[in-house]
Amino acid sequence: MQTRSLGDTGHDSTVMTFGAIALNWLEQEGANQLVEHVLDYGVNHVDVAPTYGDAELKLGPKLRQHREEIFLGCKTQERTYEGAWRTLDRSLNRLGVDAIDLYQVHGLEYDEELDAITGDDGALAAFREAKEQGLIDHIGLTSHGHPDLVLDALDRIDDLESVMFPLNPVVAGKDDDEHDYEAVLARADERNVGTLGIKAFAGGTWPSTDELPESDRPFANWYRPVTAPDEIRERFDFAAAQGLTSVVSAGDPKLVTMILEAAADYDGMDEAARRSLIERVRHDESPVPEQLHH
Amino acid sequence: MNVPETVATALDDREVAGTRCLEAGAGAGNATAGLLANGAARVYAVTDDSEHARTTRRRVGDVGDDTDDSGGGDSNDTDDGTDSRDDRLAVVEADLRAVPLPDDSVDLITAHGLCNVLDPAALSAVAEEFSRVAAAGARLVVDDYDPLPDGAAIRELFAVENAASELARGRPALTFYPAAFLRRLFAGRGWEFERERTLLEPVPWTESHVAAHADEAVSMAAECPEGAGDALAAASRGLASEIGSESVGRMYSLAFRLPR
Ligand SMILES: NC(=O)c1ccc[n+]([C@@H]2O[C@H](COP(=O)([O-])OP(=O)(O)OC[C@H]3O[C@@H](n4cnc5c(N)ncnc54)[C@H](OP(=O)(O)O)[C@@H]3O)[C@@H](O)[C@H]2O)c1
Ligand SMILES: C[S@@+](CC[C@H](N)C(=O)[O-])C[C@H]1O[C@@H](n2cnc3c(N)ncnc32)[C@H](O)[C@@H]1O
Repeated sequence: MQTRSLGDTGHDSTVMTFGAIALNWLEQEGANQLVEHVLDYGVNHVDVAPTYGDAELKLGPKLRQHREEIFLGCKTQERTYEGAWRTLDRSLNRLGVDAIDLYQVHGLEYDEELDAITGDDGALAAFREAKEQGLIDHIGLTSHGHPDLVLDALDRIDDLESVMFPLNPVVAGKDDDEHDYEAVLARADERNVGTLGIKAFAGGTWPSTDELPESDRPFANWYRPVTAPDEIRERFDFAAAQGLTSVVSAGDPKLVTMILEAAADYDGMDEAARRSLIERVRHDESPVPEQLHH
Repeated sequence: MNVPETVATALDDREVAGTRCLEAGAGAGNATAGLLANGAARVYAVTDDSEHARTTRRRVGDVGDDTDDSGGGDSNDTDDGTDSRDDRLAVVEADLRAVPLPDDSVDLITAHGLCNVLDPAALSAVAEEFSRVAAAGARLVVDDYDPLPDGAAIRELFAVENAASELARGRPALTFYPAAFLRRLFAGRGWEFERERTLLEPVPWTESHVAAHADEAVSMAAECPEGAGDALAAASRGLASEIGSESVGRMYSLAFRLPR
């Protein structure tokens, strides 16, 4: 599988990052198998968070067995110094490892949160201490918030080494500032900050819970994913060709093999095909505004 | 409104800022939006379809800021009387075979998805008008579709639509001219060829496109002699549900300029 340098981290990430939330929906044995399966394809970057149910615990055994082969990203939704330290300790415990390669501010959504994490008593102060102590190697940030907020974060956090944000043809087809994650990609590239794409496989929102109760949804993604192999491939190619360092796989384990296949076969997407995909989904409703409310 | 990537790509190596433009066949207003977004001084968006004229005014005319609307009476009269209009836009309901503009009056002509709805006779007449209204040194952008490849399922739907159109109106509804054909056509009228680009490959014929073409075929079939009409209507409905959507073919962009 192709690799690309993740900003200035010195790590070359595979074009696909395994989104370990998929493990949350499996028993331990199935989780072990899925991690082996992912590693068989050569994937070397795994992303997890404490808020993904049991995913940290279920990743633990295979992570420890293959620690050297895996660049591990984890996150915290805590915004304070103390909160960040607390969740970092908890994640290290639950994962059963000595250090996390990339620790990320999770789901930044409001301006006040950016003020909070960059303040004296903010989460980033804890990140920096942890980095000095060798508990984390690199600092990142994730958001499905307003692109301007992510741009601000890129400007204000000097030691930021990666950003994770949504990018797909629905988003790329909209010109307004609210969807301009391409500007985030461009700014991150300028700063040599690594870029990780989420929601590459989002097809739209789920029908209302009146129409389709949550328990009847056929996939464990909180958006409606594309599910046909051809569509998965197009979406992967689109996101990877857009210039992201790596594309994070979707949250449902049923989709992971198709995404692995697409990632393994990836060899670019020409501009006319890229536009073709944007044009096709242009009228689809973007799932991104919905995500702003979580 | 959003400027589709196709339009943005067709215009991004053209000088649009400050030009007087003819958007030939306003349709959905996509190219009109692109021209205005790129700083056109004036856009005459011409269509012979009053529904399309309304759509273009609605989607593109309202710029959202309070542009002074005290200009000429022809400038973008919105139906709903809103104040926020782009006074650079004039949506004109007219036949492109007789464009209501003086000779040598525009610097840029766009025909984005126009030629495929013109039969050869109409295409020839429209090309004549382009030459007349274009000022010396003017530019022309022609975006259209190559003929579909043999295996394309949607060809059958277009065939039925054309059959209904021929029977009902005596001309085809759609003609896909190869890029090389339109290139020679305009070159033959003095337009110097500048470049060709591929805008889309494959072309995404979405479910709504397919359904719209089927509806069009059905409505023309209603004007056909009875037996044939019923068969064509049934065929187009059947094909539409069979095809659903299909990504096939190529959309290209040609650019030309007139010598000074
Ligand atoms: N409407 C929303 O905005 C939203 C968001 C999350 C969960 N949910 C729903 O809430 C249910 C319970 O979630 P929870 O308590 O486990 O998580 P949670 O605490 O609500 O969210 C945890 C984080 O997990 C991430 N995530 C990604 N894919 C997910 C998925 N398939 N399911 C859940 N979280 C996902 C989300 O953002 P990241 O991608 O940044 O990690 C979210 O911030 C989920 O099943 C989902 O249906 C809704
Ligand atoms: C497919 S649409 C073009 C799309 C449009 N350029 C855009 O960017 O959205 C074709 C348009 O040409 C118009 N048209 C076709 N023949 C015409 C003619 N002879 N005179 C004027 N308009 C014509 C149709 O009514 C329609 O508005």
